[in-house]
Amino acid sequence: MLKYVLKRIGMAVLTLLIITFLLFLLVRIMPGNPFPSERMSAEQIANKRAEMGLDDAIPVQFFRYLGGILRGDFGKGTSLYYGAPISTVLSTAISNSFRIGGLAILLGSAVGLLLGIVAALNRGKFWDGFCTVFSILGVCVPSYVFLIFLQYTFAFRIPYFPYFFDPNRFLFSAVIPSVSLSLFTMSTIARFTRNEMVEVFDSDYVRLAEAKGMYGSSLVRKHVLRNALIPIVTVLAPLVVDLLTGALVVEKIYGINGIGKLMVDAITGEGIDYNYVLALGILYSALYIGIMLIVDLLYGVLDPRIRVAAREEG
Amino acid sequence: MKKLVSLTLVLMLVLSCLALPALAEDRYLGVMLGTNVMSLDTNLATDGDSFEVIADCIDGLMQMDADGAAIPALAESYDLSDDATVYTFHLRDAKWNNGTPVTANDFVFAWRRIAQEAGEYAYMLDEIGNIKGAAEIISKQTDDLTTLGVTAADDKTLVVTLNVPVSFFPSLMYFPTFYPINEEFYNSLDDGTYGTSPTTFLSNGAFVLEDYTPGTATLAVKKNPDYWDADRVTLDGIRYQVVGSSDNALTAFKTGALDVVMVSGNQVDAARKDPALAENLKVTGAGYMWYLSFSQTEKNAQGGKLANANLRLAISNVIDRANLVDNYVMDGSLDTYTAVPPQFAASATTGEDFSADQAKFADYVGFNPDKAQEYFEAAKSELGVDSFEFTMIYGNNEGDEVAKVAQAIKEDVEAELPGVVINLQPMTKAERLDKMQNDNYDIALTRWGPDYADPMTYLGMWITNNSNNYGFWSNAEYDQLIADCVTGAYINDYDARWEAMYKAEELVMKEAVIAPLYTKANANLITAGVEGIDFHPVALNRVYKTTTVK
Amino acid sequence: MAKKTAPASQAAVPYTPVKEDFVLLPQRDIRTDTNFASQSYWKGVLIHFFKNRRAVFGLIIVTAIILLAVFGPMLSQFNYRDIVQYRNDANRRVVAKGIAPQIPWLHQLLTGEAPEGNFADYTFLFGTDDLGRDLWTRTWYGARVSLLIAFVTIFIDMIIGMSYGLISGFFGGMTDNIMQRFVEVANSVPRLVIVSVLAIFMPKGMGLVIVALLLTEWIGMSKIARAEMLKIKEQEYVLASRTLGAKSGHIIFREILPNTIGPIITQVMFSIPTAIFTEAFLSFVGVGIVLPQCSVGTLIEDGFNNITTLPYQILPPILVLALLMLGFNFIGDGLREALAPKLEDM
Repeated sequence: MLKYVLKRIGMAVLTLLIITFLLFLLVRIMPGNPFPSERMSAEQIANKRAEMGLDDAIPVQFFRYLGGILRGDFGKGTSLYYGAPISTVLSTAISNSFRIGGLAILLGSAVGLLLGIVAALNRGKFWDGFCTVFSILGVCVPSYVFLIFLQYTFAFRIPYFPYFFDPNRFLFSAVIPSVSLSLFTMSTIARFTRNEMVEVFDSDYVRLAEAKGMYGSSLVRKHVLRNALIPIVTVLAPLVVDLLTGALVVEKIYGINGIGKLMVDAITGEGIDYNYVLALGILYSALYIGIMLIVDLLYGVLDPRIRVAAREEG
Repeated sequence: MKKLVSLTLVLMLVLSCLALPALAEDRYLGVMLGTNVMSLDTNLATDGDSFEVIADCIDGLMQMDADGAAIPALAESYDLSDDATVYTFHLRDAKWNNGTPVTANDFVFAWRRIAQEAGEYAYMLDEIGNIKGAAEIISKQTDDLTTLGVTAADDKTLVVTLNVPVSFFPSLMYFPTFYPINEEFYNSLDDGTYGTSPTTFLSNGAFVLEDYTPGTATLAVKKNPDYWDADRVTLDGIRYQVVGSSDNALTAFKTGALDVVMVSGNQVDAARKDPALAENLKVTGAGYMWYLSFSQTEKNAQGGKLANANLRLAISNVIDRANLVDNYVMDGSLDTYTAVPPQFAASATTGEDFSADQAKFADYVGFNPDKAQEYFEAAKSELGVDSFEFTMIYGNNEGDEVAKVAQAIKEDVEAELPGVVINLQPMTKAERLDKMQNDNYDIALTRWGPDYADPMTYLGMWITNNSNNYGFWSNAEYDQLIADCVTGAYINDYDARWEAMYKAEELVMKEAVIAPLYTKANANLITAGVEGIDFHPVALNRVYKTTTVK
Repeated sequence: MAKKTAPASQAAVPYTPVKEDFVLLPQRDIRTDTNFASQSYWKGVLIHFFKNRRAVFGLIIVTAIILLAVFGPMLSQFNYRDIVQYRNDANRRVVAKGIAPQIPWLHQLLTGEAPEGNFADYTFLFGTDDLGRDLWTRTWYGARVSLLIAFVTIFIDMIIGMSYGLISGFFGGMTDNIMQRFVEVANSVPRLVIVSVLAIFMPKGMGLVIVALLLTEWIGMSKIARAEMLKIKEQEYVLASRTLGAKSGHIIFREILPNTIGPIITQVMFSIPTAIFTEAFLSFVGVGIVLPQCSVGTLIEDGFNNITTLPYQILPPILVLALLMLGFNFIGDGLREALAPKLEDM
């Protein structure tokens, strides 16, 4: 097991390296300019590019960049928060997005799971129909529309929560964005849970268990849920990555300094900020790769017959 | 089900415990920002929001009065040499908020740094301010910073030497690029940390930075008790909040979360129709003008079709600018028919706005479908074709109204000029600029804001080979007129210079080098009782030094 | 019993098999359960599907939306890009923008008075947008684009995503390892970056949007398919089939696939709205469809700009999308039950 994990981490580093290089090339091909300017002369811009080392050969630039990363230096912004080291800007953005996203994940998966179970147990009845309609609305209505709705209702009509995000009252002001972000996850998880559980309920071994006299919550927990969890974990994983890395419009509307807005600003802001795009791209990839590793390990825990690890070694 | 209910109850209980009352912040003004503050370093800041916050905290040699005229700030007075090229500024006693006095050297340090770093606004030193030696340092011909024509004669005397007389030079001094930075303090900081937090930023102005990290949507400044003019400032502070959309700004204003917001489009309409809000609405000039730029080179517009002046005039004459501002921009923006927009540059001798008369080019620009047909027929016979297809580029991150304006223009042109097809192409502002600078576009919906209160901030753009001459238009007569105004015959004759600029503007309009559209306004909602915010179309959009809250 | 097509009972004979025993068996006998096949599998699926009332209801909704997308714009007197406007006495243009839904004859019927005001005698079922265009026409015009996106997504999910995941999971080991690392790379390049680069090489528009979807939209599905494969391939019937000499392709697509169909259909349902919003985002940044064209996604984004001031603008596209998804979900549920019928249904 440990050997497998170490092997996967080794591969993750290699994958990250490939991704970094790919991103490194692509941002340089993208249309747009790291030094957007209406007032600098062509000569001034050329000097700025030279100072950034953008005129050197790509491999030279790439290895210099890697060297910087190893020292913990992700560079500075060129068109976004000019001058300030990326690490200082990124650290607050990461902390905000991770905390709000984390709350959304907890809320979304807990309520989603609960709703899905209730729906599956009441198949064809009210709760089942409710779950269906809720999940469809949850994925069809973008999270920022929910945000506006919640903001309008609970920060304007009934002014209970703050109208804008306030870092000094984090938990309290995280409620509205977290809830609105959680609805997509909630809907997805509810729907998957419901469908999977219904399928597992119909399977032979649950019928056998029922025949043996198992019923109620122990049946649900020991047999049904456990078997239904594999697809649920699979769909949850990318949602976790997406939620942790923030959501542009929600952050913009609620005034949150988060990763989602930072990424879009870095690409579509005043110019293309190579250093921000790269730093955020690496962060996203690392998260994604890490979570996928956890998911592969979880498969083995949920269903001991699945052994991704053993297979790979064999 | 029971569990669900009890869970919800527990959750609500927990939340209600968390709901602490908001801290009492009396006389802190809540103000909306349109974008994040990108930098508080005068060398790096390029956007109006950053400039506004910098100006809250730092004073320059001069400041703007309520009408936008330059009045003394840190300079108690200044002397001008007989040949009008040497300014000697006498500084008053003022302190940075760490207690050190503001000296002439703070200016020398800041200005040298701007020339050396040669960033976006370095052109204020050489092209606009014409400060001696600036051009050489910016273009890296020399790295001897002492050649810059700014010296500290003593702690309280700053001497600035110009290449040629610049009539509006004192009014440049309120632009943040010319603000001082304390050298000793700057050098004590780690690289790249200046202006990134309250502890790495020094104020000498009306307010002190209280809360800021790059990237955050909130920023706060509080009153500076040691400000040299502290008696004038009555606000305890300002709490800035970046607001992402006009709709959200309107609701934020209604909730009372913010005292000063800017709305656009339908939200202006909604505010006008709502009697409770209508009295809070205040329209102020934003300065910048939106216009259409036409590429005149061979490689664009189907082999340079837009190099034909009649075709450009035809297009310019079917755009219903009144319709654009009435129905789509809606924030009180002014439909504009001159190359230099109104309301920012008034003559120093007569006091009259350079572009007060919007009908002076009625022969070349306006909504005249009949005249447009004549131009269009002429263009078709000159070019020998009768169908045209152009792409119009515009920025999708430059305001909600831009896409609407682009569509309205497309509909007008296609309806009135049969045979012309305009394809719309949205892109980021950065990409639009990139395309324009590399001359890779047909028509662009673009804008320019005045950096200083003189028509030259616009007219300087259309001289041959200027980097902002995106149409690549070239006219020897025009170039000569502008050269005479900037460095030649008219520099010492204010009225003659003014006249020459009229002539130059007419040349631009006669050939429809650009099609001016509208001069942007800001529709502000201001809480009743808040008074004395100075709004300016140039340099600093909002100044709060004399703002009072009842 | 579509599930157990391999006759497992044969493996239960208490006899130590020798190689020849297996060679003798003709291949087609392994593939099909002749007993069941005689009933025609697909016919059974169809019968099952149409017996399901919800599924039929779903089919009706989707058909109605398709019909409205095709014919809806024709029912209105306006074109999707027509700006409704006139010039007033002062020669200023008056534009029918931001008008709430109105039906003049209904107004007359309810109030007994003829409606008054500018444009009061026009019928705008869904109201008008910011530019003064009829939202009814635009909504159905936009539904065309979004329906296309929906069907492309289903195709991408079912063909690319599913195959990729099933193959990766089935072979496992090095194959899985390489295929999964490729997914990580493909998923990690921000969409905006890859699309901007693609836009240099190909014309902007629907084609580019579809290519963008092709690049990453299959990943979610492949993960689900892989997880199901990992779970199912260890089960006895697969082992049996393998022992009996069935080819990998046969096992993956004929035996395991029908048992993974549940989560796969659910996943398809959830990837459609995501794809529709992706299209809207790409159009906003300028690589998708261009104005004055529209899609359900872009209409929602436009409506969002005025959500509290003119809330009715965002409702029609959201309702159309929600109804479409409701229809798809009912069809999906029906298909799932029909494709993998359980004992009680038979």
